[in-house]
Amino acid sequence: MATRAIDSRDTVPAVTADDRRRWFRGQAFWLVAPALLLLVICLGLPLAIVTLRSFSEPRWGWQNYAWFFGTPVNLTVLQRTFAISAWVTLVCLVAGYPYAYVMTAVGPKLRLILILCVLVPFWVSGVVRTLAWVILLQDSGVINSVIRAVGLSPVKLIRTQTGVVIGMAQVLLPFMILPLYSVMKTIDLRLMQAARSLGASPARAFAQVYLPLSLPGVYAGAIIVFILALGFYITPALLGGPRSTMLSTLIQNQVLSLLNWGRGGAMGVVLLIATFVLLALAAPLSRQPHKTGSRR
Amino acid sequence: MKTNIGQMAALGLLMVTTAALAQSKPVAGEVAEGSLKGKTLTFVSYGGIYQDGQIAALKEFVDKSGVTLLSDGPTEISKLQAQVESGNVTWDVVDTGDFPPYVYCGKLFQKLDFSKIDTSNIPEGQISECSVPAMNYGVVLMYNTEKYKDNPPKSWKDFFDIEKFPGSRALEGSGDLSGGMIEQALLAAGGSVENMTVADIDKAIEKVRSLGPDTIFWKTGADSQQLAESGEADMIAMWTGRAMTAVKNGAKYTPAWQDWLVVMDQMTIPMGVKDPDAAHALINAYVGKSAQEILAKTTSYTPIHKDAKPEVDEITAAFMTNTPDKLKLGYQQNIKFWVENFEVANEKWNALMAGN
Repeated sequence: MATRAIDSRDTVPAVTADDRRRWFRGQAFWLVAPALLLLVICLGLPLAIVTLRSFSEPRWGWQNYAWFFGTPVNLTVLQRTFAISAWVTLVCLVAGYPYAYVMTAVGPKLRLILILCVLVPFWVSGVVRTLAWVILLQDSGVINSVIRAVGLSPVKLIRTQTGVVIGMAQVLLPFMILPLYSVMKTIDLRLMQAARSLGASPARAFAQVYLPLSLPGVYAGAIIVFILALGFYITPALLGGPRSTMLSTLIQNQVLSLLNWGRGGAMGVVLLIATFVLLALAAPLSRQPHKTGSRR
Repeated sequence: MKTNIGQMAALGLLMVTTAALAQSKPVAGEVAEGSLKGKTLTFVSYGGIYQDGQIAALKEFVDKSGVTLLSDGPTEISKLQAQVESGNVTWDVVDTGDFPPYVYCGKLFQKLDFSKIDTSNIPEGQISECSVPAMNYGVVLMYNTEKYKDNPPKSWKDFFDIEKFPGSRALEGSGDLSGGMIEQALLAAGGSVENMTVADIDKAIEKVRSLGPDTIFWKTGADSQQLAESGEADMIAMWTGRAMTAVKNGAKYTPAWQDWLVVMDQMTIPMGVKDPDAAHALINAYVGKSAQEILAKTTSYTPIHKDAKPEVDEITAAFMTNTPDKLKLGYQQNIKFWVENFEVANEKWNALMAGN
């Protein structure tokens, strides 16, 4: 498989960056215009309005931000939101990495089945999936029944952060696996053989050759999963208890039951800025040294 | 020719007068034939079986008046606010929860003209300046009959007493402040709902906290029903509709009706609707006897017409809240208190809900 991929890449005439730029100056702009317009209207504009309202309601000033940082529960929940998201990202990575690797290693038929297994959950509504988890995780549920049947003492899964992380990780797993797979399938497995033939142990070949090459997929998947997790609402609400409430629930409460757009907006802006800061801090990590990974 | 025109004019005048008469003295459930022909009303509610039942209840009104009835939802006060603020109100009649018509009366909801709605058959104390009830239900204490065989809990006091009544508890934590839950906790703490003070909120929340860290806060009606059907919680503060469905599905739970909370949805008309008269006519039809019977039959909610006698099965009847014996045991929320202290109470409740 990998061999053929490399052969075909060699025979296709390369499109240089210069070619692309020239083309772009021509008319390619119109190709992205619809998406751009949609982004501006459906994301940029509402975001601007929300930000504005966080400063203007009920009067101009920093009041909503002062309230946010002056209320302990907000800070606890903000911190918790990031912690849960980080856990979910980690679980997805640990579960998704080997899965994506297997997808690159098996034949086309089995790969199709593996892709389907990842995608099928997308076809089921999030609420249904979450309720299925309720049935599995609850004290009298399937998992605890099995645990009891083998004579162990039942574990508390539902209404705990563990339960929330499990449920969210299942929903978000595809977002980790697909970017991982798209990067891993371009890694030439012969590089591993080369490393082995040069005397590296399998573990060392993995750590020094395969892992660095797969890192772009890891970062892409981790960032997508982490950011999506930050905004989760239904899963923590149904699988969690008070100790796993996330910020989206508090925002929903401010906006929908109190009509307090100012405070709700401020909470959203704080979450957004905190996310940007975190991503900026993580950015240097993703600039991997290309020494080992270079294909040219 | 001339006489014809004269006759037609006279007939027209007669019709107008009849219509005017009908206007001046409305009868619940009735609407003048063809009176809303060519008009369109948008009715907004919470969807599902409930809204289907409401539309079914309004069928006679639609057929008779000739109105085109559109159905939208779910009700979101924030959406309504956006409509009112932008001056483009497309929701004509809105079904809301308990509080909004009190909190936003005159701001988002218009004061109703009670010369256009016949309220004579609506139960006591359920009408406000900006609303009439849409239906009734209750929050009731449901307990596991297998767990509490000989010594069943009888009131909220028992619900909040985990020493005398060991076992897990579930109560509403759907995000919105549940004033009822605070009141019931206060009742258990020996307070009074009528004379509530802000300090009582803390007292009540402390009582809820005393139930311990394993207390379950259910998020949706389906959630609470599932807790009963799986036997996950031994006592559950539950909506009567969900309690009924759980029992129908075989849950071994039974209600303790002492101090059950009367809950209702509200029918409202937003500020700035294009045709307030037509909206009033819809509400007047909705509170009629046969409309309420259809509503109760299709949704199992309790009708708000005193004489409505819906044909329902035994279990449904057992959870209808409008029987005299149940009404005697129930109580109504201290809405005035909640309207005045909604924000401070909500903040405290949220802190509890967020695990602080």
